[in-house]
Amino acid sequence: MLEVEGLTVAYGKHVALNDVSLSVGQGEMVAILGANGAGKSSLLGAISARVAARAGQITYRGRALAGVPQHRLVEMGIAIVPEGRGIFPAMSVAENLALGAFPDRARGDAAAQRMEVFDLFPKLAERRDQIAGTMSGGEQQMVAIGRALMSAPDLLLLDEPSLGLAPVVTQGVFCALERIRATGLTVLIVEQNARATLALADRAYLIEAGRIIGSGRAEELRNDPAVVRAFLGGASAGTS
Amino acid sequence: MIMTTLILGLVLGGTYALLALGLTLQYGIARIMNLAYGELTLAAAFVLVALFSGLGLSPLAAIVLIAPAGYGVGWLLYTVMMRPLVRRSGASGRLEVDSILATFGLLFVVQGVLLVIFGANLTSISYLDRGVSVLGVSVALNRLIAFGICVVVGGGLALAMTRTRWGLTMRAVALTPGSAPLVGIDVNRVARQGFALGTALAATGGASIAMYQTFSATDGVIFTMKALIIVIMGGVGNVTGALIAGLALGLVETFVATAIDPGLTLAATFAIFLVVLLWRPQGLFGRG
Ligand SMILES: Nc1ncnc2c1ncn2[C@@H]1O[C@H](COP(=O)(O)OP(=O)(O)OP(=O)(O)O)[C@@H](O)[C@H]1O
Ligand SMILES: [Mg+2]
Repeated sequence: MLEVEGLTVAYGKHVALNDVSLSVGQGEMVAILGANGAGKSSLLGAISARVAARAGQITYRGRALAGVPQHRLVEMGIAIVPEGRGIFPAMSVAENLALGAFPDRARGDAAAQRMEVFDLFPKLAERRDQIAGTMSGGEQQMVAIGRALMSAPDLLLLDEPSLGLAPVVTQGVFCALERIRATGLTVLIVEQNARATLALADRAYLIEAGRIIGSGRAEELRNDPAVVRAFLGGASAGTS
Repeated sequence: MIMTTLILGLVLGGTYALLALGLTLQYGIARIMNLAYGELTLAAAFVLVALFSGLGLSPLAAIVLIAPAGYGVGWLLYTVMMRPLVRRSGASGRLEVDSILATFGLLFVVQGVLLVIFGANLTSISYLDRGVSVLGVSVALNRLIAFGICVVVGGGLALAMTRTRWGLTMRAVALTPGSAPLVGIDVNRVARQGFALGTALAATGGASIAMYQTFSATDGVIFTMKALIIVIMGGVGNVTGALIAGLALGLVETFVATAIDPGLTLAATFAIFLVVLLWRPQGLFGRG
């Protein structure tokens, strides 16, 4: 469904992503694991046309994405929950969700989509008139994910949905991801929380200093001693 | 006495509100502080006079032509003049400064053209200039018509902004432009629409002013200034805020002119402006 070939992203002289290749199949949940500054957000940024790629090719459903502007991607079925969530903080939860259904592709069954989102996050139904910016971090993350789902995406990109959330709240977010996953939606997730992510994903890529240093099936990576040392050792504090 | 002030104040405030609506859309949605706003207003006023005196077209019919023409002019101005500035500024805050400089230049270009074509004399038309009694107060019919235009256009816009999908996307771009592409909104297109619609409102405002007021080619800066004060009082990009603040300013000016001294209206306007700026810099009603 999504193929990335030899992607390089650089900010001035600093190369944040170096010759990265990966693929995500239809219905798969694929994780990108890496430490701070590894280049995870740059990768999602390049896929969602938020940052410019210096080299490489990104193909979605056989179509090259080079030159496709950010706002067109949503119409093509790619929804992103970026780092920092990208919600509309000054607007109500209901308005955020309504905006999520802005693309033509979502307009037909926005009502049904909203029911699904409320089913997934009952809190959003309770708080539909609250101004999103006044909500807690976890609630705002729900708004961001719910908003992305409103566009009826085929591919969901998530950038560290657990960032800055308390353990219990993180658990709630991963529960929701598990349910989203069960609907068969294709997901590419970037995380530092390796344990919880590997429990959910089909496959994962390990990224370090802008390069892919390993990849494999999630259950294999879970038991790989090198991975356990690098990603699951001390890093598990605060999760599961 | 109080009734007279109230009704005349509301009628004057209606025009102010209409003027401010366009500026608040341009600044709030397209993020362009248009210093040539008053000149565009004046240009429409002159066009109305020309259509009325030259072709004998009724002012109401003329407005129906002038408003879409204003939209077209705004669309062109944005595409030719503003778009390069927008592209160059990217995510930085340069657009605000660049647009102020660019439209400051535009101000003199438009003013020069108006002076050449229409001269520096005071201009006015005589159209339905007879008094009508409103709750015992005599108001000129042309002013009432101008007020009616404001109520219809302003009210319609306020409803559209708060109740429709179109308004939702306009407000989304005004409030959080960075998030808009994430839901598939083409920010550039919306910004161009906002700027063009703002120009259409400037034109409608100018044309309705020409129905009852005397004006000259150098009056533009006063329109810009009053509209700007109302925009800041009502909250940038806030349509309902601009409507209320515009009506309030009309009331205050009329009250000061009748109860204290007509020479103090401008001073009163600025006094309110300063109080708002010091006490609530985000405007009385916050951002749209
Ligand atoms: N706009 C930018 N300008 C310059 N350097 C940048 C920019 N964005 C990212 N970088 C640099 O690129 C590298 C990769 O950043 P990126 O945000 O992709 O990392 P990340 O893996 O998402 O990290 P984190 O887990 O902290 O979010 C970092 O060294 C960062 O400093
Ligand atoms: Mg990141």
